[in-house]
Amino acid sequence: MRIKVKLFGGLSSQRDFSKNEEGDILLELSKPVTVAQLIELLELNKKPFIVVLNGVILNELSTQIDSNSELSLFPPIAGG
Amino acid sequence: MKILRINMTNLSVRFEELGEYEGLGGRALTSAIISKEVDPLCHPLSADNKLVIACGLLGGTAAAMSGRVSVGCKSPLTGGIKEANAGGQAGQVMARLGIAAIVLEGKPKEEGTYKIYINKEGAKIENDNTLKMLPNYDLVEKIKKEFGEKIACVSIGPAGEMKLSGASVAVTDMELRPTRHAGRGGVGAVMGSKGVKVIVLDDAGTTPRQPKNPEAFKDANKRFVAGLQKHPVTGQGLPAYGTNVLTNIVNEVGAYPTYNFKEGRFAGARKISGEVQAELEKQRGGNPTHGCHRGCVIRCSGIYHDKDGHYLTKQPEYETVWALGGNCGIDDIDKIAMMDYLCDNYGVDTIEMGATIGVAMEAGILKWGDADGAINLLHEIGKGSYLGRIIGNGAAFTGRAFGVERVPVVKGQALPAYDPRAVQGIGVTYATSPMGADHTAGYSIALNVLKTGGFVDPLKPEGQVDLSRNLQIATAFIDSTGMCLFIAFALLDQPETNQALVDMINAFYGWDMKDSDVVEYGKKVLKFERDFNIRAGFTKQHDRLPRFFYKEPIPPHNVVFMVKDEELDQLFNW
Ligand code: SF4
Repeated sequence: MRIKVKLFGGLSSQRDFSKNEEGDILLELSKPVTVAQLIELLELNKKPFIVVLNGVILNELSTQIDSNSELSLFPPIAGG
Repeated sequence: MKILRINMTNLSVRFEELGEYEGLGGRALTSAIISKEVDPLCHPLSADNKLVIACGLLGGTAAAMSGRVSVGCKSPLTGGIKEANAGGQAGQVMARLGIAAIVLEGKPKEEGTYKIYINKEGAKIENDNTLKMLPNYDLVEKIKKEFGEKIACVSIGPAGEMKLSGASVAVTDMELRPTRHAGRGGVGAVMGSKGVKVIVLDDAGTTPRQPKNPEAFKDANKRFVAGLQKHPVTGQGLPAYGTNVLTNIVNEVGAYPTYNFKEGRFAGARKISGEVQAELEKQRGGNPTHGCHRGCVIRCSGIYHDKDGHYLTKQPEYETVWALGGNCGIDDIDKIAMMDYLCDNYGVDTIEMGATIGVAMEAGILKWGDADGAINLLHEIGKGSYLGRIIGNGAAFTGRAFGVERVPVVKGQALPAYDPRAVQGIGVTYATSPMGADHTAGYSIALNVLKTGGFVDPLKPEGQVDLSRNLQIATAFIDSTGMCLFIAFALLDQPETNQALVDMINAFYGWDMKDSDVVEYGKKVLKFERDFNIRAGFTKQHDRLPRFFYKEPIPPHNVVFMVKDEELDQLFNW
């Protein structure tokens, strides 16, 4: 299954994944994963605080990720 | 602390005691004075309107973050009460001069371009026609030559002089640049109607205001600062990237209004995001971490240089980048920064102008994404051409001038940078705030998107009225303290930082304010404002979003605004 991961606000992965020209991580996984498992796999420099799966803000990281999903991760941020 | 009344009809000045306004600051003070002293049915540009400039309860003290200045009047844009606040140095300086509020009253019998100089000896009014129609940057340069660099200025650009409803009041920052604006509601037009071009504030020979209980005040301030530095948003996120760090998240959740609120995502968002902007600022010798006034410990502001490494403007805020960028399909950050500079220079609100250019694009005057065309439209305002005057009067006026149906305004004021269909809570604030569409009045984004202080699902109507009500009450209080609203992110998550703020106020004034008093204070401010608007002719039908938000689903979530009218009507039933 294919998943695109977008990292923002100073988040980065300490692993060497393949990326598109925008810097998004493109993953090919052999079996389904939850959001929490995927975050662990990414080995991020900081813990993400806001997790957005296909445009929806998640409260529950045990959500299963479907193929062709987009996961966007953010540290604590704000503005106005 | 005193009120300085400046009568522009007979060109006289008078200092008076706070009297019935004792205990009020910032927004509470501007809204109380307008509500009690201004005829709600007056024409906003008439002698009967007043322009009130007030520092906050903690202005001029050693309290961190306490430099906001509130500007209030009957708004020419909304026809209702208005409070717009700004950072910069003026709030601190006027407070050190012992002035809680400057009230501009009346109207000159003969047209003139007046400058008002205020120092510890008093206030002087002088007609100076050499200042006529100067843009804000040129004006401040000229004022510096006359009064030196240890001053703060409150001024208007040509838009204010032309009394355009999108005109702002500019406040100089620490570098004495006119970059901080009380932008919303056309407050600059009211200053222009009084004939006042600039107020020069000089606090030479003054000292900070002293608290009743210095030890308790110092201790509370220390806890307050530690709380701001500890919180990841106020201690790290905002200083690193500024407010424009919101571009990516708002875009990712499908709430980034694009092409005049037609879509919730903009393909060019990343190119104009806070991350890209901060990197450019570092590369070009600007600065992504900068305070807009002394005593700011968050420092969300910055300095933006052009491609050649020369100062262009202050770091454009998220709202500005959205309004003049994504909303108009523009993804060139340098062109957006240029537009930010032009808005500051001509003295117009960036949110109102971005929304207006979006409406002009919808009308076919420009193509979507035409950055140079948008820049030219802003220059038209500076020139005072007929087209410029239409644009400078804002989105509602421009929509009428060009026969546009989809005009994103509430009470005549343009919607800011969050689509109310994808974030239902902010829609409640836009609809019901006495100010017209104003995100700061009850910033539900904190809980609907940013998970600060909890989480309320942005796509569902449930819970949004309560959320907006609580935030509107809390904001009315914070806006009265002189504190920058960004402290709220730490306050929402950390009760001890909230307590430190209350302790600081109590120590300063010798009060015994409790949390429940804070709530009553906020409600009192909102009551002044609602009451004025009702007397000005506003009804519950004015507390609604434009109907297209109820009918046109916005992609990617394909939702409409779902909070029922009857629920909106309950917002002020506390
Ligand atoms: S946090 Fe930002 S807006 Fe607030 S006072 Fe500091 S620089 Fe100004």
